Amino acid sequence: MAGGVSGYAAVNARVRVMYSYLLSAEDLTRLSQAPDLVSLVGALRQTAYGSYLDGLREQELTPEAIIFQVKRRLADVYQSVINAAPPHTRSLFLQLYRYYEINNLKAILRGIVTGPERNTEESLWDRVRPVLFPYGAMSVLPAQAMVESGSVASAVELLHGTPYYDVLAFAMKRYSAEQSLFPLEVALDLDYWRKLWAEARKLLGQDQGPATRIVGSLLDLNNIMWAIRYRVYQGLSEEETINYTLPFGYHVSDEDIRAIAAGADISAIVSRLYPEIPDAAALLEDPKRGLPVLEHRVKRYLMQQCLAAFVGNPFQVGVPLAFLVLIDLEVQDLTVLIEAKFTHVPVEDFRNFLLRTPEAA
Amino acid sequence: MFFPKAMSELELIVPSKDLLGVMKVISGHGVFHQTDSNYPQLNAAGGAPNTWQERAAAYSALERRVQAVMQALGIEEGRPPSTDFRDVVEMEAVTPTLERIEGEVKATTDQLADSQRRTDEIQSTLRQLEPVAGIELDLAALRKSHFMISMLGLMPAANVGRLQTSLARVPHAFLILRQDSQKPVVWLAGTQSNADVIERAARSAYLEPLTLPDSHEGTPNQIIDSLNRELGDLRQRVEQLKARLAELTRTDREELLTLLWEIHASRTLTEAIVRFGQLRHTYVMVGWVPTDELETLTRRVKQASRETLIETIPTSRHGDNRNIPVALQNSRLLRPFQMLVTTYARPRYGELDPTWLIALTFPLLFGAMFGDVGHGLVLTIFGLLISSGKVKQLKSLASLGLLITICGISATIFGFLYGSFFGFEHAIPTLWIKPSDDPLTILGIAVGAGVVLLTLGFLIGIFNAVVSRDWPHLIFGHNGIAGFLLYWSALTAIAGSAKFIPLPPQPSIILAGVAAFMIMFADFFIRLMEGDRPLIEGGIFVFLFQGFMELFEAVLTFLSNTLSYIRVGAFAIAHGVLSVVMFLLAGLLDPHLGILYWLVVGVGTVIIVGFEGLIVGIQVMRLSYYEFFSKFFTGGGMRFEPLTLAPTKEQS
Repeated sequence: MAGGVSGYAAVNARVRVMYSYLLSAEDLTRLSQAPDLVSLVGALRQTAYGSYLDGLREQELTPEAIIFQVKRRLADVYQSVINAAPPHTRSLFLQLYRYYEINNLKAILRGIVTGPERNTEESLWDRVRPVLFPYGAMSVLPAQAMVESGSVASAVELLHGTPYYDVLAFAMKRYSAEQSLFPLEVALDLDYWRKLWAEARKLLGQDQGPATRIVGSLLDLNNIMWAIRYRVYQGLSEEETINYTLPFGYHVSDEDIRAIAAGADISAIVSRLYPEIPDAAALLEDPKRGLPVLEHRVKRYLMQQCLAAFVGNPFQVGVPLAFLVLIDLEVQDLTVLIEAKFTHVPVEDFRNFLLRTPEAA
Repeated sequence: MFFPKAMSELELIVPSKDLLGVMKVISGHGVFHQTDSNYPQLNAAGGAPNTWQERAAAYSALERRVQAVMQALGIEEGRPPSTDFRDVVEMEAVTPTLERIEGEVKATTDQLADSQRRTDEIQSTLRQLEPVAGIELDLAALRKSHFMISMLGLMPAANVGRLQTSLARVPHAFLILRQDSQKPVVWLAGTQSNADVIERAARSAYLEPLTLPDSHEGTPNQIIDSLNRELGDLRQRVEQLKARLAELTRTDREELLTLLWEIHASRTLTEAIVRFGQLRHTYVMVGWVPTDELETLTRRVKQASRETLIETIPTSRHGDNRNIPVALQNSRLLRPFQMLVTTYARPRYGELDPTWLIALTFPLLFGAMFGDVGHGLVLTIFGLLISSGKVKQLKSLASLGLLITICGISATIFGFLYGSFFGFEHAIPTLWIKPSDDPLTILGIAVGAGVVLLTLGFLIGIFNAVVSRDWPHLIFGHNGIAGFLLYWSALTAIAGSAKFIPLPPQPSIILAGVAAFMIMFADFFIRLMEGDRPLIEGGIFVFLFQGFMELFEAVLTFLSNTLSYIRVGAFAIAHGVLSVVMFLLAGLLDPHLGILYWLVVGVGTVIIVGFEGLIVGIQVMRLSYYEFFSKFFTGGGMRFEPLTLAPTKEQS
């Protein structure tokens, strides 16, 4: 197995270089102060995103087009890390990257259900294509053919031979009965996280600890948010909530999820799980309003964990893994900024939605 | 041959009592292109309700019913039989026969559909039972329990643990009846009082319960046995019903075909009558007849009805004749080229039919671009094979067979002229020129040929304008005298300046200036001659700018049209070079001229004949359509569609 110094030398060199290009809290503050979207793009052209944005002319500066270009860099970074990663870790990175492909798959299915816009000549594919993540050659989705197939059932049939077919084929019975994409999306999510967790657990030696810590923390974030949302927003029963969540993670245990599903005090559980978030209990006094803020805080906590992964032994899977999470969070910040500048939201109103701020650092 | 068939307008006023007799003659002769003369005013004068419309609708419905029965029996409509159907059948005469056959066929097909539906249901149930086949559980007993809810089914293996966790607080029994890494067979049971919880848990864990009809009892294997027995009976029944349908097809085929064509003829005739003008006691029929058929037709109409009034109006090829249908009269040999012309556009009545011209230029250009004796012969044989219709897979290309054969022959002739045989450049003597050895000469000849063809195009355009008496466009049009003058004076000016011809360029330059002036202000002069006012639209500057752009466009078009013909020479060179590359490649792979060498040569030849042949064909079409036709061919003629019960020769 090509682990250790020799195995991680290439990926570490790449990650260290790309890490130096990550936007700092000061960079994000400077970008926040751009007076409008055009100025923001001008400022972004001076960063690592510059080469991706150079092709955009001023009349093409829509939030969708800019975000698409920003995501192109994210895709390139992922592919660069996957190519340089030691062979025994590659399947973990590939599975992590599938997150975006699953989002594309969900977007395609939603597009099919929504159908084409009336009173417009724009085809459904023209409408769906801009919202898809630029996944690149690694994608196994026949995206256009799926959109043009006209029905969810035909689109799923086109997935024969991909990792998604069996999962969706099982869930299709429920889709046919309920005519809702919910069972399909839940099945995809559960399958994704199960496989990702299995990949992290599969690693041995000095790789397993960092891998389960980072993947587990990501999983915790999703699992706890699902459990709270299913109970608070969707009013699902205990048994449904349990079936739609996962029994593993880094901090969050099956008992915690079952307790939330059974109606226990959410704020007490969250406060115990995340002592680093002091106002968690206060936020969850009104769960519907507090949950988005709590999610934001947990993401900040995750960001801190990932930054910490760069301290210590560099020759383990945690470094590239943490970097990929960090760059994803950076893209989330840039998305907030771009949308805010497009809609002319004042800095003070959106600053709190940014993950990387001087206060958070 | 040079023009579409001469047409005459025919107007008949037919007494009501003779209508069907006259219709028989007209539809039987198959030369009358009907125009709509059913004007509301005309019918109002007659005052009688038009019952023909109702009859036409009724025949149409009847025809659809016959077609549906024939479709159910798998009977092809085929060509109309030779029997005389030129009459309107009475509805009452045909309906009982149709109803009898329809009733028999419907009863059988309904039973067949029921049997097939039941077969599908059983097969679906069997598919569901297949995973639980070996399980010894009485499914009916489980289903009928009053105090227990139970589910037998498949679920994703990954969800098993979660399902059990979700039911931890509810009394239940959960068994994995058959282990499977992906989809284990499970049995879940609980009390009826917890039915909602158990059902929710099962659903959210994606447990897929078996859904069996209540009629099935026993263990899965017992049910499977019973279903297989029923399936066997059903298959037997389906075979019997299919045999019955085959019997009906055999016995009723002729009767149905007769019915179909009788009803079809009646519908066609009544629909034609609907379009006649109807007066109180007479019908007015208006249409077009080829002039050479007029005498025969009118004589036969007179024989059928002495009281019918016949008026014929001769037509002219001059002026606006877009309403006159166009029947092309080309020999069988020219049909593929006629198809090429009509793909572009159908000539107008007053316009020259360019089929004969394209029949000359198309093979000539193709041969010049694809000159090789061997390749040409392959193409010729391929064309003959397609024409013969002996290869089933190539039947859809039958109409192209003759075209490919002629092009192949032309390529063979040019192959002798170029001295090329299957790409071997020295196997046969060169009778004229070797394109790859003398590229500049062949390119020059190609442009020269282009000049000749464009000149021919200009002259035909001028001729068409004279025939249609379109004097303004004849004099000032891009493709009229002004355009021709500009083209040739510019050519002679260039040739004179470059000392290619022993003429001073000055007179040509002056002539080109005059022609340029005519084209630039063509719009003004055309409006003046046609009496359109105002003479200048949008102010003087706009007018001058438009005039300049017209001239610019004309010059650019002439230049690009002429240079386009360079491709003829370029392809002639490329054809030879492509063969050289093929031999080089084959030599590299197998220097000893072994099997591999000849394999590469064989595949290369197929590619050259197939792909290059196709590309050359497309290029010749392009030269014909965009360079040549644009000089003289307007198109937009109406197709001649005579009233007949069988397709016309042109249609077929």
